[in-house]
Amino acid sequence: MNTRRISRRDFMRNAILTSAGIYMAGCGMSSTSKPASSPTVSSQATHVRMQGTLQIAFVGTQVANSQKVIAQDFEKAHPGVKINFLPIQGKDWNDYFTKILTQIASGSVPDLMTVATEGIQLFAGKGLAYPLDEFVKQDKEAIREYFADVHPSLVEAMMYQGHLYALPFDFNAANMFLNMNLFSQAGIEYPRGNWTKDDFYDIAKKIAALGGDGAPYGYGWVIRLWGSWTPWIYNNRSNLLKEDKWQGGQWLWDTFYPDNPAAKGRSGGWRWGEPIANTPENVEALDFMVQLAKEHITPSISAGGGGLLQGFFTSDKLGMTPAGGFWAGGLHNAGMKPDEFDVQFFPKWQTQRHLFGTAGLVMMEKSKNKDLAWEYIKYWVSKPVMQYILSNNDTTPVRRSLATAKQYANTGPKHWSVFYDTLTKFPDTAPIPAPTWYERMNTIFTKYTSLAMSFSQTPQQALDNMQKEMEQAYEQEGGK
Amino acid sequence: MEKTEFLHKSNTRAFQESIADLFRDNVRGSAMRRALMGYLFIAPTVVSLLVFTILPIIASFGLSFFEWNVIEKARFVGLDNYIKLTHDTRVLRSFLTTAQIVILSVLLQIVVALLLALGVQSIKQRVLRYFFRTIFFIPILTSAASISIVLAYMFDQDFGVINYYLTHIGLPRIPWLNSPHWAMVAVIITYVWQQLGFMFIILTGGISSIPPEVLEAADVDGAHGWKKLVHIQIPMLSPTLLFAAVVGVIGALQIFEIPFVLTNGGPGDATRTVVMIIYESAFQNLQIGYGSAIAFILFVVILSLTAIQFILSRYWVFYQ
Repeated sequence: MNTRRISRRDFMRNAILTSAGIYMAGCGMSSTSKPASSPTVSSQATHVRMQGTLQIAFVGTQVANSQKVIAQDFEKAHPGVKINFLPIQGKDWNDYFTKILTQIASGSVPDLMTVATEGIQLFAGKGLAYPLDEFVKQDKEAIREYFADVHPSLVEAMMYQGHLYALPFDFNAANMFLNMNLFSQAGIEYPRGNWTKDDFYDIAKKIAALGGDGAPYGYGWVIRLWGSWTPWIYNNRSNLLKEDKWQGGQWLWDTFYPDNPAAKGRSGGWRWGEPIANTPENVEALDFMVQLAKEHITPSISAGGGGLLQGFFTSDKLGMTPAGGFWAGGLHNAGMKPDEFDVQFFPKWQTQRHLFGTAGLVMMEKSKNKDLAWEYIKYWVSKPVMQYILSNNDTTPVRRSLATAKQYANTGPKHWSVFYDTLTKFPDTAPIPAPTWYERMNTIFTKYTSLAMSFSQTPQQALDNMQKEMEQAYEQEGGK
Repeated sequence: MEKTEFLHKSNTRAFQESIADLFRDNVRGSAMRRALMGYLFIAPTVVSLLVFTILPIIASFGLSFFEWNVIEKARFVGLDNYIKLTHDTRVLRSFLTTAQIVILSVLLQIVVALLLALGVQSIKQRVLRYFFRTIFFIPILTSAASISIVLAYMFDQDFGVINYYLTHIGLPRIPWLNSPHWAMVAVIITYVWQQLGFMFIILTGGISSIPPEVLEAADVDGAHGWKKLVHIQIPMLSPTLLFAAVVGVIGALQIFEIPFVLTNGGPGDATRTVVMIIYESAFQNLQIGYGSAIAFILFVVILSLTAIQFILSRYWVFYQ
């Protein structure tokens, strides 16, 4: 094990030093063609800015060894540069954003921070994030290879008002994880890709009917925005907010995706409009969740992370749950063998549209090391770095070239290709609704979902009240 | 100077006055030195109180008259935040929820801690007494967040160990975290269990300080059990009980971690406390002014309730 790790590390170092050299060369070349009016990336400034300390905030309690290794290699490739990681503990993205906003309020601003879809518009809308447009335009030759490897829907999710705020690093679409031990016990076959909501219901019922000591449940989920009952909203052709797109960003699509059909109609980012929480489709979706709970096909539903669900799943108490590629590594670490679980697309209802969330490094507007920060972003999304950091499959890499049988050979699942195919097979797949007022929206969503799932309010009542509160919040936030 | 000349001078009034002045200066200097030493000793406490308590209270009060989202410049809005919160049903409801938690948890803490303290004090073996004191005190040393995470698993309706045993004795599964009513019960149980050790130690100290001759005299007069508890021990414990009640109420009014981690304030707003609303307004929604206004109202409520408790104590607290 150790031998393998050292050898990978050595390979990585060489690869990174090489790629860092290419990047530096790329900077020098492109800076000569850069308009004089843009001082941020002039070659002279680049020379000056390749010194200093980069503060990088991320969600977590400690810096992973892989992060330390790649940071050390970056420091080696850039003498005079120091990388400081700033781990910020948070029970979810919401909690992490709250803490980082508090830290920013106290005057301590990192240069870079990890931000997921949930926070892109939040930070961009508040003027805290710095758009990457100029950097990307300047380094277009060096970065072209990256865009060629990344699905345009992920890039579009990182845009706001026509500007790009992050290069996606990882993503997770809400697929359906299947407990193959329970499937086998109930005599159920791995479902076909275009399975329907009714197929799902039959399977869930069969698993819940297995009985025995500590009888399993067919399906389980937790209350949160991503992977909660929201996939049922998306596949029932609805959303919580009116969908629109920002204008702009055409330069990016023309530059990097000129012949890619998946990039057709892409825009300057998702524009989340007024709330539509109580549409008949949403009521129907929540009603279905309540029905499953009342029929004891799902266990009691409460707020929280996925830890509890994972525990139930690994102990064969749960047949199915909405999850993304991050579960592959999680289940493997929890002791599940690759053939004991699998993944399939989310079932079809009115449509088979999926939802996803993606994350990347955001440059902070107040960073005094923007050029250095950009160097690190490029380095961070380079293939060797991504491959090294995501080798344990605790999330899904955004690079299609890393979605390989080799990548999932150790952890499973068997149908690993589902993760990336979600983006390619269902082109209308979209990010979770995350407007600038995401935090308030999430609180309201959680509150009324919990009331419906505790049977304190009917789905219609809960969603009517959700709509009312979301309308107030939307109005107070200036309808952005 | 000649001896005769000195004696002559020492007899003069001016000389005597100068000696007296010197003596007074010495006394004054020593008193000043002592005072200075005293100020130095209390300086760390006073400075930290000023910096970490008084100034934030003043700053928070000042901020409550502004609309400020941290990023843009603060805008003076006068009493708008206070007017807004009087119409905010979530804020008003959070005060009611907190009041429920305060009343039930402080009562339970005091009653259970008193019974435990009396029970442990009646144990003859010293080793056993120390053992139980340690055991009952341990929860207060554990972080509320850790306790809440573990109890969230235990309270789980379908897989939790509590319901597992309840069903084994023929009782139905209780939706501890999934029903507005039971979620409140779960929060109170967790809070009482975590805080019990503190109350227990305070009351154990109070019971130990009751003079044994008073209890022996009660025994001689035929007051045993319940009578001795109600008429002798509780009145003699009343100053300790007052302290326990004041500290308990102040702590419970500020409850945050347990409902935040255990129920996230839900289902709905069933367990959302005032401090959770302050956190949500100020740090999640970045309405710092509004959060400060709610915080200031909570401060006034705590101050008023503490004052009321001291005023009422005249009628039931007996000092020896």
